[in-house]
Amino acid sequence: MSSAGIDKVRDWILGRHPERTELAADVDLIESRLVDSLAFVELVYTIEDAAGVEIDFDNIDIEDFQTLATIEKAFFA
Amino acid sequence: MTQPLIGVDLVPISRVGELLDPGIGPLLRRYLSAEELTVSRTPDGEPDRAGIAGRLAAKEAVFKLLGAVGRPVPWQGIEVLRGPGGRPGVRLSGRAAELARDAGLGPIDVSISHDAGFAIAVAAASTSLEHPNSLEQRL
Repeated sequence: MSSAGIDKVRDWILGRHPERTELAADVDLIESRLVDSLAFVELVYTIEDAAGVEIDFDNIDIEDFQTLATIEKAFFA
Repeated sequence: MTQPLIGVDLVPISRVGELLDPGIGPLLRRYLSAEELTVSRTPDGEPDRAGIAGRLAAKEAVFKLLGAVGRPVPWQGIEVLRGPGGRPGVRLSGRAAELARDAGLGPIDVSISHDAGFAIAVAAASTSLEHPNSLEQRL
């Protein structure tokens, strides 16, 4: 069962891509161009808001943001 | 021997409207430095959306010179400011400056244009290092 936090992140991504109705946990968000470099900052902001944490943008491990599953493990576990 | 490098990027001006949405907070501050925010206003004080889109495109174009594929753009470390004669100039700091040093980059020049709802920017520099994308090395 997914957390409410990761659901917020999923909803934000789906809200940007109305052509999609689902987003599996293992879809690569960057390779699939669901999140581009401009939107990546917004993704970080959305995760911060949903998880109640502050993310140090200069020391980001990009692998934590690769899929919904890695985001959930890094920020909502 | 030096080798030329170019980077290009395109930003729809409508994307700036999304970043200015008060519902998502002062998000633009994550992309632009305080000095860039100051020069990103029209004479009547409103956000210069085309100018901001051009500035964001220029940052991404510069990032493409740095050889850091797969890493997040260090938005704050790539500042695009007004240079002599009104031409845009680039100032690097922090991780962006380190990446430029590692890539052996010389001075970076950028050119920005806006039309039909889009901003486009090209960045150019030369590197003293062997370019990892050089076809000559592969063929």
